[in-house]
Amino acid sequence: MMDVLGKTEEIVKKAKALGADEVIAKTTYGKYRQVRFSNNQVDIIVAWNDYSTDIALAWKKRLVATQIHRFDEADASIKRLMKLAKVSEENPTFGGFAKGSFRYAKSRADKKLKTLEKPAEYVSEAVEAAEKEAGCKVDSGGILFTKFEDVYLASSEGPVGVDSRSAIELSIRAFSEREASGHGVECRSTLKDFKSARAGAKAGEIAKLARNPRIGDEGTYDVIFDPLIFGSLLGVWGGMASAYSVLVQQSIFVGKLGKMVAPEMVTLKDNPAAYSTSNKVFDDEGTPTKENVFINRGVLKTYLHNASTAKLFKTKTTGNAGLVYPTPWNIEMGAGSASKDELFKEVKKGLYLTNTWYTRFQNSAKGDFSTIPRDGIFMVERGEIKRSLKDLRVSDNVLAMLGNVAEVSKERQHVHWWGFEADLPSLAPYVLIKNVHITKSK
Amino acid sequence: MDEEIVDFALEYARSKKVEYAEVRAHSQVQDGLMLRNGVVEAVVSAVDSGFCVRLIADGGIGFASTNKWTKEEARAIVNLASKHARAANRKEKLVFAEEKGVKTKWAVAQKKKVENISLEERTSTLAEVSKALSSSKVKIAATTSSCSTNLITKYFVNSEGSRISSYVPRLGAYVFITVAEQGKTEQAYEQFGYSGGWEAFSKWKIPEKMVHDAMVLRAVITKAKAMKPGNMDLVCGSEVTGIAAHESCGHPMEADRILGREMSQAGRSFIYKGGQYWIGTRIGSKAVTVVDDPTIENSYGFYEYDDEGVKARRRFMYKEGVINEFLHNRESAAKLGVKSNGSSRSINYDREAIVRMANTFVPPGEFTEEELIEGVKNGVYMKSFTEWNIDDKRFNQRYVGREAYLIENGELKYPVARPVIETTTLKFWTAVDAVSRKVEFDAATCGKGDPEQGVPVYTGGPCLRLRKVFVK
Repeated sequence: MMDVLGKTEEIVKKAKALGADEVIAKTTYGKYRQVRFSNNQVDIIVAWNDYSTDIALAWKKRLVATQIHRFDEADASIKRLMKLAKVSEENPTFGGFAKGSFRYAKSRADKKLKTLEKPAEYVSEAVEAAEKEAGCKVDSGGILFTKFEDVYLASSEGPVGVDSRSAIELSIRAFSEREASGHGVECRSTLKDFKSARAGAKAGEIAKLARNPRIGDEGTYDVIFDPLIFGSLLGVWGGMASAYSVLVQQSIFVGKLGKMVAPEMVTLKDNPAAYSTSNKVFDDEGTPTKENVFINRGVLKTYLHNASTAKLFKTKTTGNAGLVYPTPWNIEMGAGSASKDELFKEVKKGLYLTNTWYTRFQNSAKGDFSTIPRDGIFMVERGEIKRSLKDLRVSDNVLAMLGNVAEVSKERQHVHWWGFEADLPSLAPYVLIKNVHITKSK
Repeated sequence: MDEEIVDFALEYARSKKVEYAEVRAHSQVQDGLMLRNGVVEAVVSAVDSGFCVRLIADGGIGFASTNKWTKEEARAIVNLASKHARAANRKEKLVFAEEKGVKTKWAVAQKKKVENISLEERTSTLAEVSKALSSSKVKIAATTSSCSTNLITKYFVNSEGSRISSYVPRLGAYVFITVAEQGKTEQAYEQFGYSGGWEAFSKWKIPEKMVHDAMVLRAVITKAKAMKPGNMDLVCGSEVTGIAAHESCGHPMEADRILGREMSQAGRSFIYKGGQYWIGTRIGSKAVTVVDDPTIENSYGFYEYDDEGVKARRRFMYKEGVINEFLHNRESAAKLGVKSNGSSRSINYDREAIVRMANTFVPPGEFTEEELIEGVKNGVYMKSFTEWNIDDKRFNQRYVGREAYLIENGELKYPVARPVIETTTLKFWTAVDAVSRKVEFDAATCGKGDPEQGVPVYTGGPCLRLRKVFVK
């Protein structure tokens, strides 16, 4: 391992010798495995081995980057980068890479995820659990995904680190009827406590309740969001906390630092913690990652920064550097005080939405958007699920929805699947939002 | 790219007693440039090169890829793919639809080679967008723009004797603007794509297009009136026609989706065996034909052979209002007892080839755009769109207008703010009574696959006139 770090450091030294002002090199050795299944059978088992080194260098405020796949390509690539830097134009807002020497938390990656034996068995467990919970024959599809990455980072500005990052995800969608389905996910950073049957059971439970759906009615509803759908929305909204999104006016949070953007019960954080599928102990500049509360009890406290945007906003980096732009890693919503059951009981007449996809904005600065719920959509009356619905759309505004959060559950789930628009995992609770606008086809 | 290692991997795969094997190498020389408000934010340049093996063994499919170009690694991924294929343990064994082996080479020519375009020229070309916007006198709060060139070399071999080499230079550009007037904002996003050389930039006319968008957004803020919801006629501009063709014809006609292979991700289709809709069922008026065609020269979705070595051709998906032909790869075609129609695409060496669209559009009709509008007593002309989405069975869709005008007695009157059509696939295509002559295309990146594979496509068509649809 140290040999790879040594070679990564060597790239930094060579780029400095060629005249670069600042250099970062990050080498990733990744092993990724995936089982795809549909109609209760495995369609394909996929394996990727990926070897890459990302190199970013700055010369007189010109930022250039590349990716190489062999160390013997490094010399030529650095020379080419330096040439590019010298014919590029100055970026006056570039504030440099993170500086300092850091001690990083110890990685808790699970080496068993390097070569997971019999991955198809996890799929069978989930499919069987879905069928058992649904109490009938179901058609299930989805994926099992595992990741193991060794990451080596060196920066001319001080940071040097080694990290291992692992993850396992199972995503299953079960159909009890052609238009009655449920979706469950199980996301962990290690095999410990990973239970694929839990995802299957959730998918089966919703698929059972979703039978015989009727087309729902347009209107304004109090809506309970399942952790899966709310996690999807959190990813999109969390992305708007990136300082880059703010700079390019693609954020509802422009000009709102220090202001109330939600009720006191809403606290949102970014945190690539050890439990998360996006666990990491340092960002792409080598800054130690940490928990960043960006909405604290309803007040927007900070944007998410790399060293450069932090300088521009006269603050400190939050450990959110990607190769070029700051990015969130894992959005957490603070737990509420009500149980899931208590939250349901607060709804006299409303909807329970379990999943969504295709979230699109008319205007990301204003927050006008729509998203299409899929899988179980339910009418809730006096806290009870009364009937299954279909063909509805949430057509609303992010700030209005944040402002109308009425209850947050104690229970939270770590969620992520393919349909997450921002491809960002979340730790999400059940959330009750009042007066949500629901539309449908006419 | 080392073809010897690819050939070695195929021979090694054949020795594993497999029913089928293929090896696909994919090399991409990528250069990208990102600007914020006309200032260079970052320059990215990289070469990505690797190969994959996909094989069928005991009726299961295994796939493995690597970007390490050694024979040792080739053996390792073949062993992995073989092990995984057998581990699938399928009851229903998979086969591919029959194809003859093909030996060929194909390439897209460049009139102005991107290799000869300096970074300075790339930067100044892209910076023209911001300069044009600055001189438009529209208040622009932010502009982001980027352009990329991608020189793609592929080498495909399979156990049936295919050996296909290809070369496609692909260019893309994106611009996103926020207009701020009177304390309000409006936004527009445009994507541009081309297979060929740097001549693309003179064809795209990005500065002119973005200035037009900026003025439209200013008019939406300062002049546009709210819609009075109701049943009325709707004229869709080519951009709206294209997105509808892509979302509510192209996607539901993907055979892997129809067969359930995408059931957990991109979803199923309203078309399925034993359901209300199948080949031969009416889904639109006689005026409606929607095709997918990878063979349009210089198009963003151009290819001559797909990523399974099948010759590309035009597919008539909806023909005169009737469901006519699904999009197939060899796996889906075998399941439905037909031949592949060359719709298998992969975005890189580390992704399996799956059923994809290429360039999806409505072919030209008989009318002029003016004739369509003249025939409307009360309606809306939705020239372009902002927000859109569709459900995962591809039946309930929504398009929100960006540039839109009220039509009264056959004349465009004034801009309307964000008109919305939210309707079903059946109602949308059944309402079409006239199609104009002039076809235009927009570039897009179509999302599908897990892991995600955004493939370059065109969407397009002429103007459509829809009678008595609900617009709000």
